[in-house]
Amino acid sequence: MNPDGANRDDRSSNGQDRGVTVPDVPAFRAARDHVRDELVRFVRALRRADVAVPANAGPTAARALVEVGFDDEATARTALRACLISDAEDMSTFDRKFSEFWRRLTAGLDLDGPAPRWDDGPEGTLAPMHENATDDEPETNASETADHPDADPETNPVAASATLDAVVADSEPDVDADTVERSWVSPTGRRTRVSESVGIGPVDWLATAFDKLTRGLATLRGRRWRPGDERADVRRSLRSSIGTGGTIVSLPRRDREPDAVRAVWFVDVSRSVLDTIDRSFLLGTLRRARTEWRDCRIVLFDESARDVSEAFDESTAAAALDALDRAETEWGGGTRIGESLADFLADTPGAFDRRTVVFVVSDGLETGDADALEGALAPLSRRTAGIVWLNPLAVASKYEPRADGMASALPFIDGLFAFGGPNDLAEVGRQLRRHGLGGRIGYEYDPRRGVSEARRNDV
Amino acid sequence: MTDRRPTAFSDVTDERLRTLFDEESYVADDHVVTTVLLALRLGKPLLVEGEPGAGKTELAKVLAAGFDAELVRLQCYEGLTAENALYEWNYTKQLLAVQASDDDASVFSEEFLLERPLLRALRGGSPPPVLLIDEVDRADEEFEALLLEVLSDFQVSVPELGTIRAETPPIVVITSNRTRALSDALKRRCLFLHVSPPSFEKERAILERKVPALDGAVATELCAMAKRLREEPLRKPPGAAETIDWARAVAALRAENDDPLTPEEIHETLGCLLKEVEDVERVDESLLETLVEAAADARAEVTP
Repeated sequence: MNPDGANRDDRSSNGQDRGVTVPDVPAFRAARDHVRDELVRFVRALRRADVAVPANAGPTAARALVEVGFDDEATARTALRACLISDAEDMSTFDRKFSEFWRRLTAGLDLDGPAPRWDDGPEGTLAPMHENATDDEPETNASETADHPDADPETNPVAASATLDAVVADSEPDVDADTVERSWVSPTGRRTRVSESVGIGPVDWLATAFDKLTRGLATLRGRRWRPGDERADVRRSLRSSIGTGGTIVSLPRRDREPDAVRAVWFVDVSRSVLDTIDRSFLLGTLRRARTEWRDCRIVLFDESARDVSEAFDESTAAAALDALDRAETEWGGGTRIGESLADFLADTPGAFDRRTVVFVVSDGLETGDADALEGALAPLSRRTAGIVWLNPLAVASKYEPRADGMASALPFIDGLFAFGGPNDLAEVGRQLRRHGLGGRIGYEYDPRRGVSEARRNDV
Repeated sequence: MTDRRPTAFSDVTDERLRTLFDEESYVADDHVVTTVLLALRLGKPLLVEGEPGAGKTELAKVLAAGFDAELVRLQCYEGLTAENALYEWNYTKQLLAVQASDDDASVFSEEFLLERPLLRALRGGSPPPVLLIDEVDRADEEFEALLLEVLSDFQVSVPELGTIRAETPPIVVITSNRTRALSDALKRRCLFLHVSPPSFEKERAILERKVPALDGAVATELCAMAKRLREEPLRKPPGAAETIDWARAVAALRAENDDPLTPEEIHETLGCLLKEVEDVERVDESLLETLVEAAADARAEVTP
């Protein structure tokens, strides 16, 4: 927001609305604009971090800040927390983002006027204050802010030093594996690498992302009831009849709340995919799907399909890795997605029903007949709850599904998403939770699309 | 976007609120004071979430007592309807009026209206009442929708009478135990306050105020044991309310005795703290010994 822009008019009217005499001096206006700008950025940053900030929370937060003042960080933190979040689970995210917000806010309220900063862009990312930052630097610095597991291993040693075992294994890592050495460029201090020992970040990121995906996908009935259509709710009917003298005038109904997932993963293990995808991330995801979901089958394919679900039941990550390696060595070559799917569909028709969600992990570079792919996907889309296509190439901001296989598949799939790291998985979960399998979902609705790779990782 | 309504508490200060909590023996952290202060000044409902027994309901009671206001309580439950919460017509009286009257006077007037908690809170006098909507997560989602108009505009639409609007909005405290997620629409109308289980020091301060008859060293022992028990995987971890119950029980049994608690006394009174039979059974000799040790350590720190 431009402090000298058109918003100035309504600022003065706001002041009049509240019956408060607002000093109309430049220094005051600048400070007021600064607070407003930072607050808007803060709200956007929270939303980017998947915090459900209510739509009207910004004005309420501004009023709260006016009430409590800017003298005490703890008080301001409490005030904004009361206004901006409505879920205790979001508190840690809020606290993490608030520190940066407060630092920027107070720095800008210095008597010398707002501190210089680089452009944060409209996405609302809270770019750290940086004395020496110039307009052409943010991309570089942001990419070096390796607070994210997807970052380039060369600039982010987290990704480089986290071992495959650490990513895949989810059962009691040994003491040495509990910590990894991570290092990055300090965003606010010297431009030299600093390091510290921390818990294994990538596992946490993947676990969090996977939880979000699971919540967005639940199709199987759990034990809890909710209002629905399945059967009459006798207890509620009787209760409501008390108010009408014992006459039942309406018949509330209920059904079971879905809380479990049934899924089939088709994973393309052709060379083109394996060269593109982070294998540890892929294996970690599949392993979690197999262990955490109620019913999950994992099928690897390139020119034919092979069910390797049991390999992922092994207690060690090595077995899962072996399965993937075997698949690659046996088949590694072209990709016949359609024929592989059709064969598997014919051999194991019982693997699919209306509550099954099908995941296809593939780049869509079909070397076989595109008609065969359409022929396989058409019955699959009719017989299952939905098809989600995860494409490692869609990570690129300018990706378009123009490959033959991908273009043929589009009419039959419910959503095409990027698949490069935990953030992509979390994005799938977010969209599914918000819009459902039948909704407008896909890589094109990914709010990170179009932003730079550095910011994509940051948000 | 709704207009800002005049609130009766726009001039409440931080000091006034802290004094109020002190007078009512309610131990409030800074973040509780700040959030309640904002809710009062901004005239927004306060959504309080936290474990059972953390003092959510007590907060509303304390505010009502402190401001000398009426406490209007709506206890939510599954199947709660608009008739139970808002208003209903006195059908019997209407029927009698129709049979007895010769004129065509309407039977949908104030005379036949039965106020329920929400309407009563909106029509409250001065000072405005404190409306406690307790355990809203127990009510159906349909009921939440009913609350929306009340919470955003502090008004209720009665088709036969028109819109009834609060002259001065009541203080609204909504509590939830998080047994289910509340709707975004409800949450965005409220300020949010999460009440965590009390720390050792806070719990000790609570006992000091709520159970003054109990010796300070014994209270310290109880708090140390409650803290230790919360580290166990209990089905129902004790809240501050349970600790207060326990302290009252111990105070009643011991009279003026300020000796350290014995394992027998602890075991016999544990039922006041733990409300699940599985939790009580979990306290075997080994755990009891651990509790006694924790109590002894805590006592050693406060006694010279």
